[in-house]
Amino acid sequence: MKKYKDIICVAIVGLVFACLALAAWLLPSKEFSDSERRKLAQVPKLSLSSIEDGSFVTKFESYTQDQFPLRDTFRTLKAFLVYNVFGQLDNNGIYMADGYAAKLEYPLNVSSVNHAADRFGYIYETFLADKNVNVYLSIVPDKSYFLAGRYGYPSMDYEKLFAIMQGKMSYAEYIDITGTLDITDYYKTDTHWRQEKVTDTAAKIAAGMGVTLSGKYSEKVLEHPFYGVYYGQSSLPLPTETIHYLTNDILDGCKVTNYEKGTVGGIYDMQKAAGKDPYEIFLSGAVSLITIENPNYQNSRELIIFRDSYGSSIAPLLVEGYSKVTLVDIRYLRADFLDKFIEFNDQDVLFLFSTLVLNNSETLT
Amino acid sequence: MLFSSIPFLFWFLPCVLLFYFIVPRGLKNTAILFSSLFFYGWGEPGYIVWLVTAIATGYVFGLLLERFRKRDKISKALFVLSVSISLAILGYFKYSDFFISNLNIMTGSSLPLLRLALPIGISFYTFQVLSYMIDIYRGDAAAQKNPIDLALYVVLFPQLIAGPIVRYTTIAGQLKERSLTVEKIALGIRRFIIGLGKKIMVANLLGELCGIFRESKDKSVLFFWLYAVAYSLHIYFDFSGYSDMAIGLGKIFGFTFPENFNYPYISASITEFWQRWHMSLGSWFRDYVYIPLGGNRVCVSRHLFNIFVVWMLTGFWHGAAWNFIVWGIYFAFLLIIEKLWLLKSLKQKRIWNHVYVIFLVIISFVIFDASSIGQAFSYIKAMFGASGYPLVSKEFLYYFRSYGGVLVVAMFAATPLPKKVWSRLGATPVGGDVLVIAEPLAILAMLVACTAYLVDGSYNPFLYFRF
Repeated sequence: MKKYKDIICVAIVGLVFACLALAAWLLPSKEFSDSERRKLAQVPKLSLSSIEDGSFVTKFESYTQDQFPLRDTFRTLKAFLVYNVFGQLDNNGIYMADGYAAKLEYPLNVSSVNHAADRFGYIYETFLADKNVNVYLSIVPDKSYFLAGRYGYPSMDYEKLFAIMQGKMSYAEYIDITGTLDITDYYKTDTHWRQEKVTDTAAKIAAGMGVTLSGKYSEKVLEHPFYGVYYGQSSLPLPTETIHYLTNDILDGCKVTNYEKGTVGGIYDMQKAAGKDPYEIFLSGAVSLITIENPNYQNSRELIIFRDSYGSSIAPLLVEGYSKVTLVDIRYLRADFLDKFIEFNDQDVLFLFSTLVLNNSETLT
Repeated sequence: MLFSSIPFLFWFLPCVLLFYFIVPRGLKNTAILFSSLFFYGWGEPGYIVWLVTAIATGYVFGLLLERFRKRDKISKALFVLSVSISLAILGYFKYSDFFISNLNIMTGSSLPLLRLALPIGISFYTFQVLSYMIDIYRGDAAAQKNPIDLALYVVLFPQLIAGPIVRYTTIAGQLKERSLTVEKIALGIRRFIIGLGKKIMVANLLGELCGIFRESKDKSVLFFWLYAVAYSLHIYFDFSGYSDMAIGLGKIFGFTFPENFNYPYISASITEFWQRWHMSLGSWFRDYVYIPLGGNRVCVSRHLFNIFVVWMLTGFWHGAAWNFIVWGIYFAFLLIIEKLWLLKSLKQKRIWNHVYVIFLVIISFVIFDASSIGQAFSYIKAMFGASGYPLVSKEFLYYFRSYGGVLVVAMFAATPLPKKVWSRLGATPVGGDVLVIAEPLAILAMLVACTAYLVDGSYNPFLYFRF
């Protein structure tokens, strides 16, 4: 019997091992991972210098990992083992609670929050302090704000974060939106909030700036399935979601100028619907500078929003109260050069950032 | 190159196996020698120079020591010279900065540190070359005339960079003639994959937990204990997993390497612990340092001195830092106390003996892992509530819950119970039949699971690479 066991062991392990090795060697490389939303490593170039400095080895290891056959299946298997065999509570920092995938964002990075506040302070002192502007601050809590405490996951000290930002931005009026939000306002597989669920939050922000919104929209559903950023990171077979977006005559009449690409279009960029991240239909996603002109607003009231990706979906809801809304993402546009693109005078200025960006603010320029 | 990496598992290993099994018998040693050199040079090709120097030293002095064996003075001079060269190279790379920085502290000088990168595995292969030369000098082994075979003894990739430390006399015969059977290959596959599982699915996860603890700003007394327990298990699974992989790979190529671990955490005394932990290093120091110093066949004070020297050197072998020396001396004192007073009562197996061993070993690994003596003592103080940390913290609760399953698996797998259960199952008529299929499938499942962890790019350093 032992002899048979040995033969079977050598045969089946050898066969699977050989198949995986052959597949790893022979299968063509993929350029992009849809589930992870990132470019995959390719075969590195071999040179004397790359061998000497060790970069060939490092890149080759990344290549073999990224291009491994059945990569997504193996990642799902690993997530299954993590959650169901070892009973771990998160996989690569992503946890599941109440059907929502969320990221462990812990602990509070005080120096990062201070850095963000300092950058905003720089913008205020350099461009806004001596101008006739009204400055506002609003902070978007991430999903852990609602889930972590309830389900026993560690989370950052949100109250301290809010207090630091308010304390260091005393020049800005704080608009607290935590009371208008709950976990159902967010996608289950993505970090972002759902546009159709944050109309009350938009109204709260608008009211804070002295603007009243009608709140009348018609809701449309994007046909393309939506797999959020945590879908790939969690590696779990989570259910597909759908993106809903809001329209009305005002939004339909708006002209959106994308200064990065030099294009003019509408609020919703439907070319992005079938792309890697359908959330980018909202104002084309990560763009350094965008303006929304609202021809239906008769006065000349303007709003400038310093924002991250959460701003893309809520900014259109604020347009109703302004003739022009300018969205600036200082992760992609150096704050030093803002006056080359924007004339600051007689505007409302809103700093709208998520706790995730404030806690990891090294990209803010 | 790490055994637990995709480049090794699915690129290097299949190529080497193919190469090894298709070349004629007379070229097999050459095939595995060049494969081993490629394996060693993969990450840091520059270090091959020092590896080749070690081989050349062993080869030349081996022949000379044998040739002049009957001429006492020349033989002794050659022996001292050969050992000095090997130790000088090891000392230069591993200990220069330790001595320079301590000299600077003692004399107030400011000699610049050399900041040399430590060639991987230098402590292991230097000890192998030393054992070879000592064995020839003593007349316990004949010098290897074939440079390929001697080089292969030193660089054989399964054990090259993290042991087990193989004596030349153990595999001298196998370098000339070794058999390959399905039974050996199956045994090698099983052992290798079990080692891979220990490394990837236990050691790496516990290593992750230790990393989280070190970075944590929410430490508590219980979090210190969680870390200490996790680290003690991590180092065992990391190193014994590597040894299993080395022994398994050796079997696949027809070699039989010595065992390196034998369930050390079931020991009932520290003396027994060191008979079960890193056995190849322990026996090396016993045979090449302790016994030549006189061992226990001397007066009591000299015997205690011998123990002290051996354990200080054992600590120093692990790293050029005071915490490793203190770690070695810590065990020297425990072993001396056991020899003088405790050993008789510890031989009566009782649960408290195990608690005593585990407690002291956990403390020892806190010293071992510390970045300095100061940190070691501050961690130990914190474990006993003397540093003002709260008993429990939010992070402790989360990570205790999150890693509790891994810890339970690790504690269970650190005992012989799984092996016993498996053996008993196999001994029953039905179980034996079931295992014919179930065991290969379980091994395959473990390979697939390990691959899944590797593909996802989990935490994966090898602890013993720095030694």
